[in-house]
Amino acid sequence: MTKVLTVRDLTIGWGGEPLLEEIAFDVERGEVFAILGGSGCGKSTLLRHLIGLARPMAGSVHLHGLGSPQQALEPPQFGVLFQSSALFGSMTLLQNIALPLSKWTDLPREAVEVVALARLQLVGLLPFAHHLPAEVSGGMKKRAGIARALALDSSLLFLDEPSAGLDPITASELDDLILTLSRNLGVTIVLVTHELASILRVADQCIVLDRAARGIIARGDPRDLRDRSPDPRVHAFFHRQSQRHDR
Amino acid sequence: MSEVAATPPATPTTAARTLALTGRLTLSEGAPLWAQLQRALADQTTTIDLTTVTHLDGGAAALLNATLQQARQSNHTIHILGASPDVQRLLDLYSCPPGVTCERPAPKEPTALADIGDSAYDVWQQCKAIFAFVGDVCAGLLRAFRRPRTIHFADLPALMEKAGADGLPIVAVINFLVGLILGLQGAIQLHRFGADPFLANLVGLSVVRELGPLMTAILVAGRTGAAYAAELGTMTVNEEVDALRTLGQDPQRFLVFPRVLALALVVPLLTAVADIVGCLGGLFIGMSYLEQPAIAYLQFLQSAVQPGDVLTGLLKSSAFAVLIGLVACQRGLSTRGGAAGVGASTTSAVVIVLFGLVGLDTLFTWVFSLLGW
Repeated sequence: MTKVLTVRDLTIGWGGEPLLEEIAFDVERGEVFAILGGSGCGKSTLLRHLIGLARPMAGSVHLHGLGSPQQALEPPQFGVLFQSSALFGSMTLLQNIALPLSKWTDLPREAVEVVALARLQLVGLLPFAHHLPAEVSGGMKKRAGIARALALDSSLLFLDEPSAGLDPITASELDDLILTLSRNLGVTIVLVTHELASILRVADQCIVLDRAARGIIARGDPRDLRDRSPDPRVHAFFHRQSQRHDR
Repeated sequence: MSEVAATPPATPTTAARTLALTGRLTLSEGAPLWAQLQRALADQTTTIDLTTVTHLDGGAAALLNATLQQARQSNHTIHILGASPDVQRLLDLYSCPPGVTCERPAPKEPTALADIGDSAYDVWQQCKAIFAFVGDVCAGLLRAFRRPRTIHFADLPALMEKAGADGLPIVAVINFLVGLILGLQGAIQLHRFGADPFLANLVGLSVVRELGPLMTAILVAGRTGAAYAAELGTMTVNEEVDALRTLGQDPQRFLVFPRVLALALVVPLLTAVADIVGCLGGLFIGMSYLEQPAIAYLQFLQSAVQPGDVLTGLLKSSAFAVLIGLVACQRGLSTRGGAAGVGASTTSAVVIVLFGLVGLDTLFTWVFSLLGW
């Protein structure tokens, strides 16, 4: 397997106070890698550092073949789905997706539209191409956000809580989409979530963060961690979620 | 043999009605690929040979599929030949799945007439909403009189400070400059006719009766009114206003009344300051340009500006304050959509308030002239 992302000795935090310390992991090409943990443990903050929107207190993030995340932003070499989808409210879904294509490719306008429509078709939103974000549901916004993240055919996607706040059916459809992207397009996906059903279905590898430990307390196949982890915190994480899910 | 059309950026070879593509077909070389595909379409190419294509990305697959679809629409079939399993899988992924309609949705293209109609309808709806809101507020006010403690007075001091004390410097500076400009323009004309002493009458009455209240209201509308509309608009789109309702709080009593009250209390005070500094602007011109003694200017000012003039100005300013508060809050609370909706609400709040201020000022002036005030 080829490494796509390497994180070494990463310490991150706010106002000089470390939130996570000495974080280290690798993401292999084509896998779905999940960053797990309870609320407030620093998952989304870690993601902001992985995509170059925040500078670490120490350590490094390296995107293989691309350099640091900041270097990989112009032109964007990876796609990002933000937790709130972050679609531009004054633009239609089509225009949201066409924006990076117009900026970073030399495609003529008609071809930009063709590619943008194809992305919308891929995520099942073709009939809503000319709708504003405010006119579609939360699940549709998430799918449109993924389509925008995919616009430039990035081989690496970062998804922040893609299924948070969605009903189980819509969340399951998003999981299907993630699996399609990973298995059919070979896209590497780094996923921040605490939705257990989603983790167990789509993730190949994961790390579990803990606020008190200020770091990684477990890593590996999420199904193995659920069934065999000796760490009581990891067991509690998976077990508690499983119980709630079983109900 | 499946259907697909494509063009290679690398080494295209066009045999008799066959387009052979080779190498990597990616979005970064999408422009030449698209040009070749369109040429192939125009040349009635029947086959696109992908035998030597080593890599295809989603963007290139989208362009190929779009060309095939264009060909089908013109009753012309293009066949794809020699696609490797990986390439074929991607083409399939970006093709229209069976049983799904993949026709391009028609964009909304409003005509000029429809635009005018929509705009007129929007204005009508906004006017209706504002009147309905004013009605609700009046009804709410009556209820609040019976239970005044239900109004959220806790925010009132902070709101007054933001609208009043924080806005004082800009109100003072702008109105001083207005008095200065008015004084200078007046002094030049009055001096030609030897009517220098009447500078105080001109500046004093203009500032106290009209310009002081109006300029102050315009500044408050741009500064505080816009802030109220944006704040309440953001609260609305973030469902904070809905949350208030679910907590048993009436948004009017919690958000609207304190803001309108804060403006109603503060704007007349700002106007009083504006009146004073505006007259001082005239004094500065009188002393510097007309070389009048300060005491002479002030004596003429005292005889020209009566308490009734000041009171009519302050009465206007109170009405202006209520107008700014109500319109800004109504626009904010009727915000729909996200960031763009907040921007639209803020803009419409300022525009409506400015129109309203001028209209209200005209009405006041007309009524005061009828009453002989």
